[in-house]
Amino acid sequence: MAAGMQRIAINSGGGYVPGLNAVVTGAVLAAHNLGWEIVGIRDGYDGLMVDDNAPDGGLINLSPQIVENLGGAGGSILGTAARNDPFRMRTINADNFVQEVDRSDELLQKIRTKKIDAVISIVGGSALTGAHALSVAFKLSRKGLRTVCIPKSVENDVAATALSFGFNSALGYTTETLEHIRTAARDVHRIAVVEVLGQQAGWLALQSGMAVCADVVLIPEIPYDLRKAAAKLREDEKAGRRPSLVVVAEGATPKTGDASPTDKSQNLQGHGLRKSLSPLSDPLFGEGARVIERSGLAAETVALQLQRLTDHATLPIVLGQMVRGGGPTAVDRQLGLGYGAGAVRALENDQTGVMVAFQPPDLKFVPLAETINKVRTVPASGEFVQIARALGISLGD
Amino acid sequence: MNSQASKGLVLNIQHFCTNDGPGIRTTVFLKFCGLRCKWCCNPESIGQKPELAYNINKCIGKKACGRCLQPPAPEGAMYVLDGSDDRIHINWDLAHGCGEETTSLCPTGALYLFGKEMTVNDVLKEVEQDGTFYRESGGGITLSGGECLLQPDFSAAILAEAHQRGINTAIETAGNVPWEFMEKVLPHVDTVLHDHKLTDPVRHKKWAGADNKRILENFKKAYETFPDKTFVARTPVIPGVNDDEEHIRSVLAFIRPHKNVVDYQLLPYHRYGEPKYRFLGKVYELEDFTPPPPEKMDHLRAIIDESFGRTAPGTTG
Repeated sequence: MAAGMQRIAINSGGGYVPGLNAVVTGAVLAAHNLGWEIVGIRDGYDGLMVDDNAPDGGLINLSPQIVENLGGAGGSILGTAARNDPFRMRTINADNFVQEVDRSDELLQKIRTKKIDAVISIVGGSALTGAHALSVAFKLSRKGLRTVCIPKSVENDVAATALSFGFNSALGYTTETLEHIRTAARDVHRIAVVEVLGQQAGWLALQSGMAVCADVVLIPEIPYDLRKAAAKLREDEKAGRRPSLVVVAEGATPKTGDASPTDKSQNLQGHGLRKSLSPLSDPLFGEGARVIERSGLAAETVALQLQRLTDHATLPIVLGQMVRGGGPTAVDRQLGLGYGAGAVRALENDQTGVMVAFQPPDLKFVPLAETINKVRTVPASGEFVQIARALGISLGD
Repeated sequence: MNSQASKGLVLNIQHFCTNDGPGIRTTVFLKFCGLRCKWCCNPESIGQKPELAYNINKCIGKKACGRCLQPPAPEGAMYVLDGSDDRIHINWDLAHGCGEETTSLCPTGALYLFGKEMTVNDVLKEVEQDGTFYRESGGGITLSGGECLLQPDFSAAILAEAHQRGINTAIETAGNVPWEFMEKVLPHVDTVLHDHKLTDPVRHKKWAGADNKRILENFKKAYETFPDKTFVARTPVIPGVNDDEEHIRSVLAFIRPHKNVVDYQLLPYHRYGEPKYRFLGKVYELEDFTPPPPEKMDHLRAIIDESFGRTAPGTTG
């Protein structure tokens, strides 16, 4: 039993996902039942750190009355901070220079001053995708903050949990939209190439593509060869099925046959000083790097090439960030309430530095050290991939 | 030359530049900047110290190497994902502050540092290689950055030495520095290329990180204090941010009373620096911005041409 726990806080870092209020509601109701006060910190930790944005002190007093109707609503009562980091806070110093300063000690002091005994943080996906919130929570935990994290991700790429909050809602919205797009594309004899979120993990593309029986699904875990995808589309057409829908995760990449980079770098001995000063002087610097230059590039690239290969008019469409909006599905409502209440239960059981993880049929508390630096990706020979193949969906390989 | 002036942090030396002042020039990029322009194409130049960067394409993997997975690399800073690809990934939150002790572990140069300490002589030795081109084209050396005026002693020493050797000098500056820094360097500069990013101070702070009050004070004072120097105003034209006539006209109103401001050039937004953000573990915030259309640039340049009494469009820059 947590000794002396009287007042806790909850905040959200990383990007937005549908229905965050369900998590807040779960935590508030569970804390209330234990007789604990609970406050929300606005916009990650900005509520405590950025005075300009905090006319009410940056804290929201949360009660069962306040969250009574939040569970089903879209939006977030807390707000979120996608990139802000108390360890590198952008500050303007006395010389009017912008600089990034470690203000984590100041944050911890403010948390103590506000008599907050522990913080529940709703955190984003993998470190690879630039979601710093989990790493920030890990670092704050190492500095002594009692903290429990809750995984959220529309890409379902957080390790150690089978289901991140927000994924099911995004999947539902994506599936519904794909169905609309496919119908329209088929009617006008075009192939829609729809880009969905998924830099490292292709769950959203694969599962939504399966749900609508897309013709082709391209995911980051399986490098694609569009000639094979085009051949499949031609076969379908011969069999009387008009191709109409290709789903591509934004991080999907073509198969390549690059030589090893070390072989190439040996040709650069003559660059001497320039090369030692900056790799940018290296003409091969960054060659072949997988950079998502902007949203829509994957759809545009695949659409253009498929048009050449199939002689069908293609239509690139980007769903992108749109799927982050809206309210939660029934599954996410339950999951969110469960995650919120589970985080309070973790604190009640004196757990700290852990993430609440859904490992069916249980909610478990996983040390943060076991969740960072990992990405939950689609196993290339796993059950979902096999089902997709059984449904006749080409994965471009 | 005092010890403070003799060494500085250099990011890169780029040869045969044609857009950084008159003629063919060698541009020396110095590290450290006091602004955070969201469109910055040299993010590796911002920090005051050498910065860690990582190119996964040069990594040979944990099985073949794996040296960076052990101390002195910080715990959790480097890691390998499950699966067949055993190349290293970086947790940029945990790798923050890694220096040479970490990059020296990497035999292939996948891990490296942006920024190297150099002496004035080191820099001039590299710059003088292009002496023939300077003489033929009227070019010379340009100090850029980052903000080259944030290493005022080093910059002044390089430029003074360049003058000694008969090399034309220029600087590129955003002007967000104490006046004393500018006062120290400008006596050794022939051409000052200076930025007017946004007119409104609140919007300047939003898009470039700090307001422009001191910047404008510095430039006005510089025009008046150094009447024999050549000044060229410049604006990086960012669609939807500062690509409006109002900004162009306000810059013209600011510079035209000063006869030593000889030109105003517009630099269209580009995305060439974007991949570097990934190599540094930084986020490129203008993900969906695209370069301004040529017609827009022509229209804005025509306003400048008119102000400078030039009739043919597109002759400014």
